[in-house]
Amino acid sequence: MRVVLEHLTKKFGDVAAVDTIDLEARSGEFVALLGPSGCGKTTTLLMIAGIYRPTSGTIVFGDRRVDHLHPKDRGIGMVFQSYALYPHMTVAENIGFPLELQRAVGKQERDQRVREAAGRVEVDELLDRRPSQLSGGQQQRVALARALVKRPDILLLDEPLSNLDARLRHDMRGEIKRLQKQVGITSIFVTHDQLEALTMADRVAVMRNGRLQAYATPAELYAHPANRFVAEFIGTPPMNFFPAELAARNGSIVARAEGIEIELAHPPGGEAGRQATVGIRPEHVAIVGPGEGNASGELFVLEPMGREQIVDVQVGERRLRVIAPPGFTARIGDRVGLRFAPERLHLFDPTSGERLS
Amino acid sequence: MATVAIPRAPGRDRWLSLLPYVVLGLATIPILVLYVWLFYSSFFPRIEGFRPIGGFTFDNWRFLWDPASVPQMRNRPPIIPLTVNTLLFATLTSLISLLVSSMAGYAFSRLRFKGRRVFLGGVLLLHSFPSVTLLIALFVVLRTLGLYDKLVGVILVQTAFALPFGIWIMKGFFDNIPWDLEMSALVDGAGRLRTWWRIMLPLVKPGLLALGILLFVEGWNQFLLPFVFMPSGSQQTLSTLVRGILGEGRFVDYGLLTAVGLYYILPVLVLFVVAQEQLMRIYAGGVKG
Repeated sequence: MRVVLEHLTKKFGDVAAVDTIDLEARSGEFVALLGPSGCGKTTTLLMIAGIYRPTSGTIVFGDRRVDHLHPKDRGIGMVFQSYALYPHMTVAENIGFPLELQRAVGKQERDQRVREAAGRVEVDELLDRRPSQLSGGQQQRVALARALVKRPDILLLDEPLSNLDARLRHDMRGEIKRLQKQVGITSIFVTHDQLEALTMADRVAVMRNGRLQAYATPAELYAHPANRFVAEFIGTPPMNFFPAELAARNGSIVARAEGIEIELAHPPGGEAGRQATVGIRPEHVAIVGPGEGNASGELFVLEPMGREQIVDVQVGERRLRVIAPPGFTARIGDRVGLRFAPERLHLFDPTSGERLS
Repeated sequence: MATVAIPRAPGRDRWLSLLPYVVLGLATIPILVLYVWLFYSSFFPRIEGFRPIGGFTFDNWRFLWDPASVPQMRNRPPIIPLTVNTLLFATLTSLISLLVSSMAGYAFSRLRFKGRRVFLGGVLLLHSFPSVTLLIALFVVLRTLGLYDKLVGVILVQTAFALPFGIWIMKGFFDNIPWDLEMSALVDGAGRLRTWWRIMLPLVKPGLLALGILLFVEGWNQFLLPFVFMPSGSQQTLSTLVRGILGEGRFVDYGLLTAVGLYYILPVLVLFVVAQEQLMRIYAGGVKG
């Protein structure tokens, strides 16, 4: 079942928490709403769930409008950040609660479906426990089972992994993704962690201040971010930015900044001499000998990470972050050269932040 | 973990640790003394200061089995109906108050409705009203409704006075429950009433129990309202009996008075002892986020 948001807006007083969002999640797709705190992603999710009423705009599930419907009539299952398990009920009762409220489902069928849902997330051994007796990961799986037991059309998740420790987060990421693909249910989840969004979602909607900044596959967002905000938000360590002047040189355009000169592979249109913000990811800059490459600078600090090293290089006034192979050695203060991969450069308008090329 | 021990004379330490006990003891002793006096006075014919005169006797307690021989019990129903009335009064007022408070508390805590602020302020205002100031007005209302001199009337009045406090307490408890639980119930398909009954109420059980006990004790001890609004015989409560024994105040049968007094407080004592364990258990089990 597809989900379509059309000009969806939510105002609290005069403040627009969600500002004219247009989005479509295809049937069976796993969509992430990604953005910093306060960008409106959770508000959007709650509107999709029916807990908030939109100020204007429509929400469509499949081919029917649902924005005036009660949450229970929308055919959704939801997992909350805190799991929201009922503390005074056992796991089995928690999972069975949505079915209890549906008079059409008899006790026997309910028990069977509870067992089925519990088995799918592997909590069938814990059915008699109370939530307080479960670990964080187990609680989350119970919450998932409860959301899925009524066989909803849409699954909504609000920061599902935020409350887990790092190791568990990694495991659950894979589990949730696998579960979603298995069940084939259209899912929308909210997160502030770009890594989570990139690894789990089919498509990611990046939001900021209530507005949609970009909506594309993770690969697309990584390789061709639509604006500076998206470029900076996606990818770890974040992209390097510096202002530069575009000048003509020997029949091609170069981006020139203090200590840096790079020939552009895909120069944007427009007159030479204009300003632009250049972006390049740390993994697309190579450290070469001093005097070689597009820029030269001084090594500021070296952070070994095992598989790679993060090197901060001071180029004039600017510090650029570069990924270096594990074998690279140097001392603080050494002069190094940097080579920028020209096809990996991003150019943004210095004022609007929009992508130039 | 290294702790720095400040050198102190061992004697001084012991004194300081005894201090809390001393303070608590000083505060408790008068109360204990009074209870002992109560006990003594009820089981001995006379008592001067703390010296009992006469032998241990159950004579003061004869109001239980031989009310006809007790002059103060004339024109009054015997002890059992009095006790039942008091019990009925206390139980009904606390139950009704609990029901209304828990619903109103939930509404104030979760629902957004016009005039909510005004209502809440009004509740607080009502709570500060001493019942005495409204006696005449209440008398008129009860007479008009035909509820004067009826147990039902007094129950309603008592409940009305108990509500502001109850609503405020229950609202506080409901405020402490995280919003997601309700959102989750909404998504799961529960309407407001069912959410209140299945999810919210079980989670405020400690509050309900505490409030229930407070209200019961208030109802059990209530004197003014039954006295003023139920003057006739059959539906009186134990509090009016005590008042009757006090009489003019000149010649008071202290033996009888203390015996009745002890009888009066016994159920409440038992309740507290039993409920204490319950309360402890509930707080230990409790709500886990």
